[in-house]
Amino acid sequence: MTEKVKYLSPEWRDEAERRLNSELPPERMNFVTSSMSNIYQNCPPDGAEKFLFFKFEEGRFAQLLLGTGESPKPEFAVSGDYQTFASITRGELGAQKALMTLKLKLKGNMVKALRLASLADRLNKVLATIPTEY
Amino acid sequence: MTSTSTDPYFIDFPKRIQSIQSQMQRENIDVYLGSRLRTLSWTTDAFFPWRSFIVVPPEGLPTAFTFVIDAARAADDSWLDEDHVYGFAPMGGQDQIEQISEFIKEILKNGKGRIGIESGMSNYLPEGWLTHYEYGQFAAALNGCELVNAHTIIDRLALIKDTGTINRFKEASRIVDVGHEAVLAAIQNGGWKGMTETEIAGIAALAMRRAGSEWEWSFTGGNEIASGYRTGYAGGACTPASRKEIKAGEPLMVDIHATFKLGLGDHSHNYLIGPATDRQRWHADNFVSIVKKTLETYRAGITPSTLAEQMMAFAEAGGFADYMVPGYEHGIGMLGDEWRIGLNDGPFPFWTNPDHLYQENEVLICAMQYACPDENIGFRYENPIVLYKDRCEEMSKFPLGIEEIG
Repeated sequence: MTEKVKYLSPEWRDEAERRLNSELPPERMNFVTSSMSNIYQNCPPDGAEKFLFFKFEEGRFAQLLLGTGESPKPEFAVSGDYQTFASITRGELGAQKALMTLKLKLKGNMVKALRLASLADRLNKVLATIPTEY
Repeated sequence: MTSTSTDPYFIDFPKRIQSIQSQMQRENIDVYLGSRLRTLSWTTDAFFPWRSFIVVPPEGLPTAFTFVIDAARAADDSWLDEDHVYGFAPMGGQDQIEQISEFIKEILKNGKGRIGIESGMSNYLPEGWLTHYEYGQFAAALNGCELVNAHTIIDRLALIKDTGTINRFKEASRIVDVGHEAVLAAIQNGGWKGMTETEIAGIAALAMRRAGSEWEWSFTGGNEIASGYRTGYAGGACTPASRKEIKAGEPLMVDIHATFKLGLGDHSHNYLIGPATDRQRWHADNFVSIVKKTLETYRAGITPSTLAEQMMAFAEAGGFADYMVPGYEHGIGMLGDEWRIGLNDGPFPFWTNPDHLYQENEVLICAMQYACPDENIGFRYENPIVLYKDRCEEMSKFPLGIEEIG
């Protein structure tokens, strides 16, 4: 795929799901069972809030939901500005640095989150490969 | 880590939490935010050496919060599972103020309510009262909540010791006795020559750790060893071991500490490094006599002040009142509860109430200090005791005496 898709559009979500399933098999996701939601604040063009909800079951991507309004309750929620997430997806900003500089907020048990940090990195790297128009 | 009710060291922690929740309900407190080390120990059964908090909801399990680097270990040691021990860190949403405030808001209806906090003071440093800064930050983050001082809930519930707690103290005291035996074996028959106070502290520490002690818990320097003039500081009762060498003709004070499952051993034994003079022997005999008298006197129903009056009268009659430091106790409980006796209800806030009426199954440290700085001599006695109706029981069984060591 070389054609760019709009960030956080239904097409982008479909492509994300396809790539995550093909590039991150259960063993690469350490057979984890968990859920996570990215909360995108100030999304263009109208400043709406969107979410991208990931659900993993034994390492498989059981659900990837894109929506507006309130996300299904995840085990971990990461919230921040749309532009921050876009910077991370473009590979310009590390997620950890974003958390340590208050650009992102994590909600959930951090001890558990630490165990999943490398998985989140893998996931972000896959999302970064999607030709995206921001 | 869990134990069963058949374990001699078993403590019913869920019952403790329920007793806190019952008291919260009586005092119209919606959430209890504990920050003192003693509160963490008493509720979680784990050691929390980093700044930590515990949030007790109106019902259900509490959740502890500590520095993220130690949260997994603390959860492993505690009866609480990892879903009830959170780690905080300098990350968005994960700093202690925001993490705990958000957690509390989820418990409260409409994010409003009365939050019990722990505010006060102590002259023992590792206490853990909520700081002024933390109070301000929590008050701002929990806008709409009333923060009320509620530490007495824990203090009252922790006052009388249950069987599991007493047994933990007894085991810690048995371990301390092993440390004393190791020190005696090392110093006798000239073994003391060339030794320093720090080396004696280490000999005791190694023996106690081999016997199962987790650490030499006291913030006063772990094992407190003093020799010569350092035993006789005026009013002194704190001697972290120094590099001073043990010398002939000097007194030696060995005050060692062990920990067993957050139960604390604390026993001080004294020696005279020979040759001892008649005058040194006189001082030593005075001290042993008043320790015996004090142990015979401790029981439920007396108060610190009445005991002190009786003992000072005994010392006056014996002609050595000038050398007695007029205090005969300090408080003790699970790790972190190491200073005040009883509740904060005396004439001086956060000091022991001299009229505190001792009750059965209270545990305290029988603590006495004899100091004669002009003669470079002093002695210390400390031993955890449990009070019964008509007597007390010393938990360390190392024989009382002040032996002359050749």
